[in-house]
Amino acid sequence: MPRPGEKLLDLPSANTKAKMMKTRLLFPGLILLALSCTTEEACEEDTISELVAVFKTEKEGTVADTALSALSIYGIREGQPTWLLYDSVTRSEIFLPLDPHHDYSRFVFQAGEQTDTLILQHRTEIYLISFSCGFGNLFTLEDIQYEAGWFVKDSILNPVVNTSLEEIDSHIWLYF
Amino acid sequence: MLAASGRSGSAQDTLRTYGPRFGIDLARFAYILADPSEVGAEVSVDVELLRNLYPVIEFGYNSISPQEDLFHYAAGGVYGRAGIDYNLLKLKDRSAHHTITVGARYGISKFSHRAEDIYIVNDYWGDHLSGSYEKDLKGHWVELVAGIKAELVSNVFMGWSLRYKILLNPGMDPLVAPQLVPGFGSGGVDRSFGITYSLCYKIPLLKK
Repeated sequence: MPRPGEKLLDLPSANTKAKMMKTRLLFPGLILLALSCTTEEACEEDTISELVAVFKTEKEGTVADTALSALSIYGIREGQPTWLLYDSVTRSEIFLPLDPHHDYSRFVFQAGEQTDTLILQHRTEIYLISFSCGFGNLFTLEDIQYEAGWFVKDSILNPVVNTSLEEIDSHIWLYF
Repeated sequence: MLAASGRSGSAQDTLRTYGPRFGIDLARFAYILADPSEVGAEVSVDVELLRNLYPVIEFGYNSISPQEDLFHYAAGGVYGRAGIDYNLLKLKDRSAHHTITVGARYGISKFSHRAEDIYIVNDYWGDHLSGSYEKDLKGHWVELVAGIKAELVSNVFMGWSLRYKILLNPGMDPLVAPQLVPGFGSGGVDRSFGITYSLCYKIPLLKK
């Protein structure tokens, strides 16, 4: 107990200490709560599902890469004009955007006198690319057909075609 | 009692109250203020069943309906968690019930999500509307929890907890990763952090 006349030290009372402790305990939680807000991200991904086709030749059981020169490719859109996808280019691989409106996609290949129509049969679903990019189309290849005999044969390596080409070298091989 | 014992009062002699402690998560209201498209509520109950051990159950509802440019999305459902907390705070004063706890939870959620008016941009084949998508889902996860509860006045507590959550079935919907797994957070990731800020009342059923 302080003696008479002795100045009391300005020490916090037990009640004040308890209040300080409660504040110390509760305040960090408010800071963490404020920091838990998130921000929206912009879309930086490709939103078109493209099939990668690589050109091959096969001689005596040996498969080799090949390139086609003066190659033009047209996409066939039902009820709309065809559109030119590649115009007289030399390519050993091509990217073909698949048709989300039908269960097939058709492309006309031309190189000099050679011409053929490639028909890709597929199943179509939608999937969420991301919340910033929205939905895209997910195709599952089921069959490949061609009409004129320029294409010799085909191989489906990866039947699932989506907007991401990570870890995908090619979806199909087309043999000439 | 103290008078009857003939001893002077000490910390050991002070009666300590026990009983179920009911809580509500105030952080949910903060989320609504920050983002009106997210609505939720969570209640909890725990009890000091054994010394420093608090079995806990938590229930809640959570929904979101964010405004997206290319589609309308909504997800919502209920969740529950069960687990246990261990109080690390040494008991110096038997009348004080502050706690600093670590614990674990197992959580499970039943919810649905849907997207409508899905607009897909396609420069080659033409932009198109693609109807709607809906799926009922279940998510389950485990949490590590660290938290604090301070007794503001007798039997009334306020506190917060920080949670590290691990989703056990992240691929629950491979086509549309849910934007919300109620009780867990975003379904687009398999790890998340969470925070609760609770106001609790303990019913003092037992004194000893």
